[in-house]
Amino acid sequence: MFTEELKAFRRLGFRHVFLQVLNFASVIASGLMIWKGLGLITNTESPIVVVLSGSMEPAFYRGDLLFLTNPPHERYHTGDITVYKIPGADIPIVHRVMETHDVSSPVKISGLDLKVLGEQLILTKGDNNHIDDIELYQGLDWLERKHIVGKVRGFLPYVGYITIAMNDFPQLKYALLGVLGLLALIQRE
Amino acid sequence: MHSFFTRINNVSALLSSCTMALLAAITIASLLQEAIYPPQINGQISMKPVKVFHAKTPRQRRKQEMGFLNFNMTADLTPLFTWNTKQLFLSLEAEYENIQGVNNTIVLWDRIVRRPEDARVKIIGAKNKYAFKEIGGKGFGKGAPGNASYALKYNLMPYVGMLRYGEAARLSDVPFDVREEL
Repeated sequence: MFTEELKAFRRLGFRHVFLQVLNFASVIASGLMIWKGLGLITNTESPIVVVLSGSMEPAFYRGDLLFLTNPPHERYHTGDITVYKIPGADIPIVHRVMETHDVSSPVKISGLDLKVLGEQLILTKGDNNHIDDIELYQGLDWLERKHIVGKVRGFLPYVGYITIAMNDFPQLKYALLGVLGLLALIQRE
Repeated sequence: MHSFFTRINNVSALLSSCTMALLAAITIASLLQEAIYPPQINGQISMKPVKVFHAKTPRQRRKQEMGFLNFNMTADLTPLFTWNTKQLFLSLEAEYENIQGVNNTIVLWDRIVRRPEDARVKIIGAKNKYAFKEIGGKGFGKGAPGNASYALKYNLMPYVGMLRYGEAARLSDVPFDVREEL
């Protein structure tokens, strides 16, 4: 099946194959640069996330794509939809802010270190949940600014479902990578 | 030149660029519509003084000051339902400053509105859905700096585009009525 391609490779020589591989690598590198550049502009580590659970229905369903920003000195307001990560749990959670407490002068709140001007304590809840997220905080009473990855600005429906499918069926991910790799190497243009 | 692969390649490239252009056009059209015809919402909130008790719900660790609301609210939010509106998220929020200088904003009641027929809000004698707890200092009781303001805010979620926030009604200077034990 591949005899024609193998003959073509031997005819063209090692240089041509190497050029193909380098083209492939430069495509991947520029994709990574665009992704990281977007992360720098929006000041968040992952500017595009996929909704994983149904806790924000009917606003966001599983598989929706969300665009985040994280302005460094802007405070968060109640009603904002934020994506946060609890240290100790790796999954980002997309929920709405229910309470904000802004400190204006140094104050000691029970259970926490001394809080100074500019710090915020936040409590969140998913729209589709009946109770707030205290149980998800793994012992914390409040979320702080440093736990929040970003605030949702806009969204696209359904587009992210392919990443959920690839996570649930890893064979699909390997098959897709294998097919793409093969196509990239054997195409001659 | 006209092999199967190049045909598929060209068709899918055209399809994805047309889809992205369409989504961008929808987003820009929504933004322009909001800028040129901004919706004017006038709502009313009225409330009796908020009763404050020292109490504890089963999920808390210690007793705190807790507030109990009794409010009426009317608002007509139908101007917000456009061709690009998926749903409206309404929330009644309390804003106050406690004696430690902490500014608190707390959501006490919310509702999701999915159809324009349900967009006329008329509520009489409602209670707060979520516990109104004071974070630690004297926010409600003796020595409290002031009264609280209550605002009805909305979050408009479109089918495609940017999320929008706004305020539909505001009631300022509602006092707290502190009782002793529950």
